[in-house]
Amino acid sequence: MPSSQAPPAGATALDPTAVRPDIADARIVRVTPAEIRATLEGLRTDGFTMLLDLGAVDYLTREPARFDVVYHLLRLPSQPATVAEIGTPERVRVLCGVPSDAVAVPTVSDLWESADWAEREVFDLFGIRFDGHPDLRRIQMPDDWEGHPLRKDYPLRGVARERTPRPSFALKSNVAAGTPASGRTAAALQKQIAEVRRAIDGHAAPEGKER
Amino acid sequence: MTVSRAPEAVALDVVEQSGNRMVLSMGPQHPSTHGVLQVITEIDGETVTKASPEIGYLHTGIEKSAENLFWSQASTVIERMDYLSPLTNALCYYLAVEQLLGPDAAVPPRAQAIRVLLAELSRIASHCVWLGTGGIDLGALTGFFYCFDLRERILDLFEASGGARMHPNYLRVGGLAQDLPDGFLGRLDAVIEMYEPRMRDVRRLLQKNPILQDRMIDIGIITAGEAVNWGLTGPCLRATGIAYDVRRAFPYSGYENYEFDVITRSEGDAYARFLVRLDEMDEAMRIIRQVRKVLDDPGPVQSPDTKFSPPPKETIALSMEALIHHFKLVSESFRVPPGDVYAAVEGPRGELGYYVVSNGDNRPWRVRTRPPSMYNLQVLKKIAVGELIADMVVMIGSLDPVFGEVDR
Amino acid sequence: MAVANSGADFLLTTVDSVARWAQSSSVWPLTMGLACCAIEMMTATAPEYDIARFGSEVFRASPRQADLMIVSGRVARKMGPIVKRLYDQMADPKWVISMGACASSGGVFDNYAIVQGVDTIIPVDVYVPGCPPTPDGLLYAVNLIQQQIKRGGRGGILARA
Repeated sequence: MPSSQAPPAGATALDPTAVRPDIADARIVRVTPAEIRATLEGLRTDGFTMLLDLGAVDYLTREPARFDVVYHLLRLPSQPATVAEIGTPERVRVLCGVPSDAVAVPTVSDLWESADWAEREVFDLFGIRFDGHPDLRRIQMPDDWEGHPLRKDYPLRGVARERTPRPSFALKSNVAAGTPASGRTAAALQKQIAEVRRAIDGHAAPEGKER
Repeated sequence: MTVSRAPEAVALDVVEQSGNRMVLSMGPQHPSTHGVLQVITEIDGETVTKASPEIGYLHTGIEKSAENLFWSQASTVIERMDYLSPLTNALCYYLAVEQLLGPDAAVPPRAQAIRVLLAELSRIASHCVWLGTGGIDLGALTGFFYCFDLRERILDLFEASGGARMHPNYLRVGGLAQDLPDGFLGRLDAVIEMYEPRMRDVRRLLQKNPILQDRMIDIGIITAGEAVNWGLTGPCLRATGIAYDVRRAFPYSGYENYEFDVITRSEGDAYARFLVRLDEMDEAMRIIRQVRKVLDDPGPVQSPDTKFSPPPKETIALSMEALIHHFKLVSESFRVPPGDVYAAVEGPRGELGYYVVSNGDNRPWRVRTRPPSMYNLQVLKKIAVGELIADMVVMIGSLDPVFGEVDR
Repeated sequence: MAVANSGADFLLTTVDSVARWAQSSSVWPLTMGLACCAIEMMTATAPEYDIARFGSEVFRASPRQADLMIVSGRVARKMGPIVKRLYDQMADPKWVISMGACASSGGVFDNYAIVQGVDTIIPVDVYVPGCPPTPDGLLYAVNLIQQQIKRGGRGGILARA
């Protein structure tokens, strides 16, 4: 989008854990796919009984790891507990850098059941495979879909629609509002509207009129 | 199974031995699945032996759309995830963005109070839909009419304040788009007045109804340990006895100033979830009454920081700087410093979270949703086994999924 | 509307108009609620708006028993074939309301996942704009369908392709 303040071409995301401001939302742990299993097993033994969320982010040109698989864990008791007993539970965010979809990440669906669909979704939308997952197949997209839509190099409108030309207003160019699409005059449009109105609101349809 | 034999003579084991198994695809178009869910069930007679929910029939690519929209535009698509309580989505997203922007984006107290008010109204409106449609699944149609009428009054309030009944897009970074209109507080008082007698009627219709109890008690039992392992949050978790509520554990938007109870039960069945949600509606109204007292005092509803707050509309026609400032904000939006944050709120369905990543641009780099409905729905794989096929709709209703959020 | 072309049609005209009046007074919709618009569609059955007074007393879940498909909500690419199959399963005469911006044109979601207008897969009689449209809008659309039926347009009892 042409603008004096548009980001320069080629700007990429920085590593968020390196530059993040001091937001105290969770303890951050950064690991590689080789370490992820041990780390998460350790955290689970440590009392992080709930895997809140498992998602992924695509940083496209970041080195050494293009993708991040992000695990959010919460330390909750596994038996009934009051508000006072729960207090302010600790949150942990584990970021696992995945260089490409050739590297598979070990599954955690045997540690937390909630990981099942979440890992399928990451596989579906990013293409990252999870070793040991019982049923790794697409979940959001149709089974025969090609490509992984949430990757940054996947076009927003999808591969098929990107090939077709789009009308100029889709590029958000400055077409004046109210410009008639076909160049017909306002009077002709008014006449057409009046005819349609007569046909709908009026009495019986005119005899012999071809629709 | 031969028809000529008397029903009593057909013993259950004969049915099992004859292998009355079939694979039934429930949905994605079905009157009782609260949305587009397909459950591929293997049933033995009437008993479910395996249930595989298939989702994705409402996958909208909202997260990808959000990456291509400005920060304030992204909330329009994000609101359409949990479409029963749109404001909750916007609130959580803006909490994340405001954390990334830092202390400059501090929300003034009146705006925080109004956010809490609208969030709790959304909770009641969402539970009204759950209760009404849950009743319809069981054949209780009157409750539907009562609940939707209450919901209408609440939607009138959303329309008055934000401009639309659903998806008002009323929130902005640092506060709200504009203050509440004149007469709003009077209408709010009317809703608060009508709530109690209406809910009394609804409870009289449903809560002790023997048919409803028969259909819900001991159906879909989840233990506390299972709930935590399956990632359940919200009423589904609290019905097992664990009092985890994000409003208490990680207070946001001024919730620490209001008194309310976290409702729990211990049975973990569909009826327990039903009761938890009913009582939660009452607690939400309790919070609304407390917020109402605060709203009499005037105050600003937008952060004064001009980096992301547009100038007041009245000044745009008079001041060139204001005009340019507004133009820049609308055409190019503000930038958010690089970083990542996970912000969570207590939605009607559980912990709704957004993991927002910014690379310093005027668009989000990634908005990952932590969808409570998806994790709540997953447990259906487990609890449906051994129940009757007719209980499937009761269980899905008691988990209260919204497919805009499950599929995104 | 086709021109009356023979004496045979003359005999059936009164019966035809009575049949059309009956059809238009009891249009039963199919429950095709997909997303946010579905909630407004449900609200249209609620007391404030009450679609039943226009004859849409019941929403049938089975396509075999419904006349009108109200496509309410965004149609995902995965859901498209199912919408088409349900439309095919409906018996003639049948009508379609495309409710909301997403069903009419893809709405706010100009991306890979959403069918850009349900009229790319099934023929639509009335489009209702809005995101979501108020239930008033849906009621007006049902009125327009009723007027279309009375005029004997596409889908009348002697429906021609």
